[in-house]
Amino acid sequence: MSEQQVQDRLQEQSTLERRPTSEELKERKARTRRRVPRTGEILTLSMGPQHPSTHGVYRAELDLDGELVVAVRPEIGNLHRGVEKLCEHRTYHQIIPLTDRLDYISSFAMNHAFCEAAEKLMGVEVPPRGRYIRTIAHELSRIANHIMWLGVHVMDLGTQTFFCICFRDREYVLDLFEMLCGARLTHSYSRIGGVAKDLPDGFDYHCRKVIDFIPKRVAEYERIIKHNRIYYKRTKNVGIFTAEDCYAWRVTGPTLRAAGVPRDLRKDEPYAAYDEVEFEVAVEYNADVYDRFLVRMKEIRESCKIIRQCLDNLPDGPFLAPDAGHALPLKKNVLRDPAAMIQDFYQVFHGPQVPKGEVYRAIEVPKGEMGVYIRSEGGPKPARVRFSTPSFYHGQAVPALVEGEMLADVVAIFASVDIVLGDCDR
Amino acid sequence: MPSFSPDEQAAGGGLARDQAHWLASVRKELIWMDNSELPVSLMRAAVRLRRRFGGRLLEGRVFRGELSYVVAPADWLRVLAFCRDARELAFDQLDCLLGDHVPERTEAPFQVVVHLTSHTYGHRLRVKTFLAEGQPLPSVTGLWPSAGFDEREAWEMYGIVFEGHPDLRRLLLPDDFEGFPMRKDFPLQGIIGGRVRTRLTGKI
Repeated sequence: MSEQQVQDRLQEQSTLERRPTSEELKERKARTRRRVPRTGEILTLSMGPQHPSTHGVYRAELDLDGELVVAVRPEIGNLHRGVEKLCEHRTYHQIIPLTDRLDYISSFAMNHAFCEAAEKLMGVEVPPRGRYIRTIAHELSRIANHIMWLGVHVMDLGTQTFFCICFRDREYVLDLFEMLCGARLTHSYSRIGGVAKDLPDGFDYHCRKVIDFIPKRVAEYERIIKHNRIYYKRTKNVGIFTAEDCYAWRVTGPTLRAAGVPRDLRKDEPYAAYDEVEFEVAVEYNADVYDRFLVRMKEIRESCKIIRQCLDNLPDGPFLAPDAGHALPLKKNVLRDPAAMIQDFYQVFHGPQVPKGEVYRAIEVPKGEMGVYIRSEGGPKPARVRFSTPSFYHGQAVPALVEGEMLADVVAIFASVDIVLGDCDR
Repeated sequence: MPSFSPDEQAAGGGLARDQAHWLASVRKELIWMDNSELPVSLMRAAVRLRRRFGGRLLEGRVFRGELSYVVAPADWLRVLAFCRDARELAFDQLDCLLGDHVPERTEAPFQVVVHLTSHTYGHRLRVKTFLAEGQPLPSVTGLWPSAGFDEREAWEMYGIVFEGHPDLRRLLLPDDFEGFPMRKDFPLQGIIGGRVRTRLTGKI
């Protein structure tokens, strides 16, 4: 066979392998689960809250029959801080730092989700430059999140070095965030009506360097992991979760897209500048842990593409809405311009002017769909805020994911849905 | 069951007379809080809901392009089951279920709000119900299993009881916690032994 024929055959095989029908998936799920004869003797094992592969303080009680997981009882709440109660006692501007602490791996995405909801409630129009900067920052946080996810996930499967490689590469993205807002982890960079600061000098250069560098690193990760026999065997056909399961358990994000559903709120309900850039929704079809890895690697590449387009087409103009009723003024104007000073006093001591009503806004954060519900009674503080966070529902779906699987696969499956307990417990 | 496609809707013509009549009547009954518009599929869903439940939909509001209905607690399960199963609605995912406390509304101070999403049409709907203190509400875990944690949270935070929930235990709070912390009359500082916590140092 010629080289071309070999390539064609490989391509054909991979397509055949990539598109199972939903019946095939169900059949495959039934085949891979419950394959060990039961002895009837149940051992209860407590996993967590300090277990390293629970990614925080998640606790699960596993009922084991031999090596087979028969039942799982999840326990969350060890990191509950009452964020929603706190939100009812703070103005809209003061809530933004609280949202950092939800999903601290991708905290800009959390800021962004809350600001999108608040802007929808108030009817604030974000200027184009603000929207583009938000898109850049959001995609950077997606890259940081997925790289971190990969490191931790692969460490759960037993490689220590790879974890360090991923963390080193994540540092470059965190350095960019440090340039943007001075913080590496809890950014609080988004504001109602835009972002806190303009892009600093030299950001364009450094950002382009990083987004040229990251796809090369992703190729390197794939070289190490994708065809690694151990990784393949431990993740292929493990933890199959079909699209119907995902709908029923509200599992969203990469897990849903790995089940063959091209659902991405960046495309379906565009916000920020996502309707002005071109990108593909990463979809895979086997619904297992391995495909979730493939989806995330594709997403990192797409994120780099989005950031490059945003940097190329970055519009001029204000980055924060000149909206005296809702947004903070530019800090440099506060001590020079009387109107800006009045606006600053009003926004800081009173808060934004908000109409009465309720909104729900969901955006696509790295871990899935993050919905924010706000009910306002017209004051500067919300009457009720609910963060409908992806990790909360992913943590709930863990029993449905791992029951019938082997004990050794639990860590792989648990990591593959990407849970952060700050996000889960709120 | 008569229904109209988005194309017919966009064209304005080709609609059966009674469908146009239904659309007009639903449009008139909804309370439009601002001048936002609803997607065509959602208008069709609203017509379908109105035809099925009529006056049992107590109030329909449109705000920022979101449709929300209020139903009585007795109709809760029936309406939500219809939302999931009817072809024109097809809400196959429950995005979020939350409890809420509005002390100003003295006869029914609690409310449960459900946000639904349809993967088929991409539209969203909000359904609410108002509850008195201690009034139970049927659980929707049979329709969407993802409501399980949400209902546990609403129960421990507001004291709203969900009948038929398979596992109504505390979720986020410690087992010996007193009171329902998300109620508006619960102080932010917390309660120790039935009194508001004033010394903020030391063990909670």
